[in-house]
Amino acid sequence: MKNLFRKVTVFALSGAMLLTALLASGCGTSIAERREDTSSTLYVGEVSTDSFPTTFFPWQSRDGVAPTVASLIYNTLFTLDEETGQYEPCLAKEWCYADLNGAPLVNENGENDYDRIEQYYAENDSEYMVIKLTLFDDATWSDGEPVTVEDVYYTLDIATDNTLSGHAGALAWTTDLMHKSEGGVLQTQGMYTFDHDEWGKYPYEEDEHETVMYLHVRPVLGAVATLFSSILILPEHIWQPIVSEEHKLNNTSSELPEAFRQQYENPVGCGAWTLDRVQSSTQMIVLQNRGMDYHIKDENDPTQPLYKVDTIKFMLYLDQNTAIYALLKGYVDMLDVAMSSNYSQLFEEEESIELLKAEGTSIQTLVMNVNPKEEQDSDMRTVLKNKDVRKAIALAIDQDRIITSVLNGEGTPASAGLMLPSQTELYNPEADILSGDYEARVAEANAILDGIYPEKDSKGYRLADGKRLHFEILANPGELELVSYLQQQFQRIGVEVEYKAEGSMAEDTYLFDGNFDMTFQATILNISNVDIMYRSHFVQVDNRSSNYGRLMDEELNELIEEMRTTLNQNTKYELVKQIQQRLAEDYYKIPVYTSNVISVARTDRFTGYVVNPGETVFNLDTLEVLEKVV
Amino acid sequence: MKASYVIKRILLTLFIFFVVVTLCFFIPRIGVDDPASRYYPAQTAGMTDAEYEAIKELVRQQYGLDGSTFQQYITYLGNLFTGDLGTSYTKNEPVIDLIAERLPWTLVLSVSNLLISLVIGVIIGTMAAWRRGRWQDRALLNASTFTTALPAFFIALILSFYLGFEWEIFPAYTDQNMVAGFDWSWEAISKVAYNASLPVFAMAIGSIVSYGQATRNSVIAVSEDDFILTAKAKGLSNNKVIYGHTLRNALLPIVTQFGMNVSTLIGGAVVIEQIFNWNGMGTLFLTANSNNDYPLMMGIMIFMSAFALVANLLTDFVYCLLDPRVTLGGR
Repeated sequence: MKNLFRKVTVFALSGAMLLTALLASGCGTSIAERREDTSSTLYVGEVSTDSFPTTFFPWQSRDGVAPTVASLIYNTLFTLDEETGQYEPCLAKEWCYADLNGAPLVNENGENDYDRIEQYYAENDSEYMVIKLTLFDDATWSDGEPVTVEDVYYTLDIATDNTLSGHAGALAWTTDLMHKSEGGVLQTQGMYTFDHDEWGKYPYEEDEHETVMYLHVRPVLGAVATLFSSILILPEHIWQPIVSEEHKLNNTSSELPEAFRQQYENPVGCGAWTLDRVQSSTQMIVLQNRGMDYHIKDENDPTQPLYKVDTIKFMLYLDQNTAIYALLKGYVDMLDVAMSSNYSQLFEEEESIELLKAEGTSIQTLVMNVNPKEEQDSDMRTVLKNKDVRKAIALAIDQDRIITSVLNGEGTPASAGLMLPSQTELYNPEADILSGDYEARVAEANAILDGIYPEKDSKGYRLADGKRLHFEILANPGELELVSYLQQQFQRIGVEVEYKAEGSMAEDTYLFDGNFDMTFQATILNISNVDIMYRSHFVQVDNRSSNYGRLMDEELNELIEEMRTTLNQNTKYELVKQIQQRLAEDYYKIPVYTSNVISVARTDRFTGYVVNPGETVFNLDTLEVLEKVV
Repeated sequence: MKASYVIKRILLTLFIFFVVVTLCFFIPRIGVDDPASRYYPAQTAGMTDAEYEAIKELVRQQYGLDGSTFQQYITYLGNLFTGDLGTSYTKNEPVIDLIAERLPWTLVLSVSNLLISLVIGVIIGTMAAWRRGRWQDRALLNASTFTTALPAFFIALILSFYLGFEWEIFPAYTDQNMVAGFDWSWEAISKVAYNASLPVFAMAIGSIVSYGQATRNSVIAVSEDDFILTAKAKGLSNNKVIYGHTLRNALLPIVTQFGMNVSTLIGGAVVIEQIFNWNGMGTLFLTANSNNDYPLMMGIMIFMSAFALVANLLTDFVYCLLDPRVTLGGR
């Protein structure tokens, strides 16, 4: 037994020594790699419970940082500038509407001439409109092959072909393209290139064979939106040889063929970045700058690459506090995270840390249930059907106070038209009817309610048929503070509100069913989504739209439909401005605030960070202008 | 151990597995009106409502969420029978591949924790029992109060903050290069050990005390038996009495605890993995859950359950071998 004891002791000691040796060797490797890194590598912290993707089927990369990474490796045809509504060059350098023979309908500046476009297509009563696209002639895939219109044709064609793509979402993206293939067989031709124009329908100059193509799209201005800025273009030479009905592009077979695995793991894209497969893992994605191989160069100095960092290392943190410590300790250069305003003070006294604040793009609104179902109707919901009551409630909301108290000042008041001023082409200042002197607004609200419900109880709350005006606000626990400030503000007009807990999902919150008095909802309306979101938020489409309070306003519906179907962009913008005024006067979704997007970056390795509305410090503009600290 | 006992235990385990599979399938779907809704693309500008409905139907087909829930259940059972756990919706990879990729990393933590806790816990527990009432025993009891009051995740946060961020002795979270650069070299293995030190330490503190406490109680109970008195009366050495007679007979409850811990090897470190950024099964499950990735969620749950059931089954058999009096129904 003594021998056994000795053996155990020796074994334990050996194990301890081995472990110590192991740990000692491991100590040599530092996780603070960035602090010693003198290269032009940007360390970006991401916070997500989702691990990084190790395979890239670009159209499938939808969660966490995956879409960001996919969009850096691949390109869409254009990127949309959400402030101006202009499509900026990406893989394609220009586009225009054309007539049915392919002649551009542009003005002397080469820009779309919307009056001519509207007139031409109204006269010709065509089922489609023609778009002329021109690609950059020097764009290449990361394996060196040139990007041509045949790649675009292949991508959009297979997107319409669910039998080969196995991706229903792609069908949705190409619904407005009047082109269809099934099982690799062309059903309806709605795309033309030099090689796919058997009858010479459209003109191609000698030097345009690889770069010019024509698309037939539905006759609505929004038809190009997803085609241009949602679909990542794929290399035909990579995918065409291996995709079949048996092995779809979106290959979900439980035994992934080796050829597909190879392509998913080593993506060949036409973006400015390539995936460094050797260094990437589920916790880290490393992207290498293609530098001068990328077809878009620095606008000011074409001898310089577009992006100023050689490598981006995305580091994953599962928890925000860990990520913040990592930034404070210098393990990363920036966090690609929109942080709560509560964290602002933490960074204010740090020397090498810059706090960046971008205007938010979403407006938090208080939604009134204006049209409850018969079986869910109540005395109080009947009260809310009265637009004057809703107006009084809207007037009583003090956005400035809420922003100061709930957001620690990190926000801006929003217009009752629910459009942000940064949407320069669309914003209508005349729809901002809930701003101005707050005391005057409260007085106006009280005057309105005095005319409808003059009676008050002993606590000063108004009475409707002997019952106190009392509403429940369906909200989540994080919105309790907001509800408490609204309680104080509504008390001033004799209206009582209280918090009612909602479930974790919209289905659980009675929102889709419209079973609530009031609730909160974030609305994002901009130039890229007005075609879809106005309808979703304010038109009674079905039971699953965002029109939770079931607003029914026929005049508004007509305005929205007219806006969606006009072929004149100038008219469209004008209609959006009219819609804002109509919305403001409906007092259905009432703005509460717009919250800033706060992000942080270290300034000891790079400087020159920029932020755009709704974005964190990690954005393409930052990558274009970053300067390395010597 | 009778063959009938073995067969009954195996059949019972299979039945429980079937129940688990059924629950794993139906529980995530409870209260969800339309599980495919999060995968529906946006309705484009020109898309009609009818076209949108057709696309929604295709999305449901794409994710295998068309047909009734019962039909989906039958299909799932059929696939499971052939060993196909499906393909992850979000990662587009076979579930079994994703599990195989993450499992070793979870096992690094849990097996290290299990072995360290077992060895140290048994030694400490035996010492406490033998020095009953003295400082060794009191220390173990106090430690037990401490670890019961402080959950592992809290200990983990403290360790991460001080030993990791503040003093930088150990990594506060996993080195991002650890997984990418792993190649079975000494350097790579040492890097894993270095990175695993804090999470294992955080997990082991409570487990060591727990094993120690179980061993102490069991050793004390056995040491009061007549055969121990006889051994002492025969003049055997302390070591022989402790390791030759007492500890061997005190092993049963420890084996039970060990078996139970083995059954949680792959699912018991979710929070610790989260705190230390350790990309194992726990974080994979969180990912699946937050994305409503049903195949991945169900695959992980079923895999964890199967592992636990097999571990429990083996524990029963080992228990039976250690104590032949144990049979089904207590006969």
